[in-house]
Amino acid sequence: MAEADAQITELAVDDHACLTFGDEEELLDLTAAFVRDGLAAGLQVVWLSDAAPQQAAGELARRGIQAQPALERGQLTAAGCEGRLLTGQAFHADTAVGWLARQVESSRQAGFPGLRLAVDMGWALRPVTGIEELPRFEEGITGILDGGTASVLCQYDRGRFDPVTLASVAEFHTRSVAAATYYADAVLRICRQYAPPGIRIAGEIDYHAEEPLALALAEAVRLEGDVVMNMSALAFADAPCTAMIADAARTVAASRTVVLQCRPAVAARLARLGITRLPRVRLVTVSDG
Amino acid sequence: MTGDRSRREGAQGPPSGVPSRPAALEQDFDDGSLYALRSAVGAHAAAAGLPPGRVYDVVAAAHEMAANAVRHGAGHGHLRLQAADGVLTCQVSDDGPAAPGQGEDGGTAPWSAEHSHGLWVIEEVADQFTIDRGPAGTTATATFTLRPRK
Repeated sequence: MAEADAQITELAVDDHACLTFGDEEELLDLTAAFVRDGLAAGLQVVWLSDAAPQQAAGELARRGIQAQPALERGQLTAAGCEGRLLTGQAFHADTAVGWLARQVESSRQAGFPGLRLAVDMGWALRPVTGIEELPRFEEGITGILDGGTASVLCQYDRGRFDPVTLASVAEFHTRSVAAATYYADAVLRICRQYAPPGIRIAGEIDYHAEEPLALALAEAVRLEGDVVMNMSALAFADAPCTAMIADAARTVAASRTVVLQCRPAVAARLARLGITRLPRVRLVTVSDG
Repeated sequence: MTGDRSRREGAQGPPSGVPSRPAALEQDFDDGSLYALRSAVGAHAAAAGLPPGRVYDVVAAAHEMAANAVRHGAGHGHLRLQAADGVLTCQVSDDGPAAPGQGEDGGTAPWSAEHSHGLWVIEEVADQFTIDRGPAGTTATATFTLRPRK
């Protein structure tokens, strides 16, 4: 598993995918897309994470996904790992794989055409007994999924899991997934956003990043439907980059709605360029982070 | 009026938070240090008592002036930021020759229409903006009043 070889929206029905993410926003965005596409396909979706179910529903809602009806009819479950992958904060690969097998079976019996399971592997960073069985767990998952209609998305934090652990589990995954990233360094990150579709620009941007910004904007413009430019964590944009963003927004707004989420100072600069006069441009101001 | 206030050494600052003669920021910059420059300018502008939106304006103006010196002037320069007499003055000097292909017509090229958007931003946000271009280089000066805006 070298670089990511698939987009979150391209997973097969029996994939055992390894998602690596760089920050919480990216994790939630990719998970939301995985959940959204699963629900849209009529699949049962289970999201295991440390977040409380209501928090998970809130995160989905924030991204335009109405999770509450799916939660109420049992199509979507958001839950913690305890009692599922963990027993009393201890990990046994066989027990966890057994839980998954039962989940796949009960989903089938409930009449769902398939199951999607997203697992935030953050629990494996805690001092959990039996963590050395992690590779065996990942291997067991692949055995259950192969040829069926259930897929699993294991989510590993790139910054917190050591490369040895990541390498030891990588071979058991059928695919690696990450957000398409146009640029990333300590100051700036430009990547695709999947739920809702668009791009995310975070940090500070100036002319040094004109090239990746142009590429990201060009791809955003080519997306189908409405486009979101998430700049909630963009603290600075210089004049040429601000103008490029405004131009891209103008292009999208010729035929679709474009939502620009940004902090007050960046919003003011974009508004000065006249784009708010266009009917399909929505400039949404978020508070400074 | 504000000049008198800012000279009252040791007295409580006025409600707008205008301090009395803080040290000036003096910083060299080049293509690789604009992020650090923005960070320092932001910190100084905030310390001078400007509200967040205005701090961003000062940072944006300082960046555009410095970026111009880097991209269309000597490739490096010096920034001086000083709050005095109720005014925050941001001065960027570019003491080297214009980059090859620039300024051959006697001095207008480094601030030509090509980068007019950056120039436009500075003119938009600064209360005053002047460019002094001579044979030794360019000095751009933007000033921001420290009085609270009505």
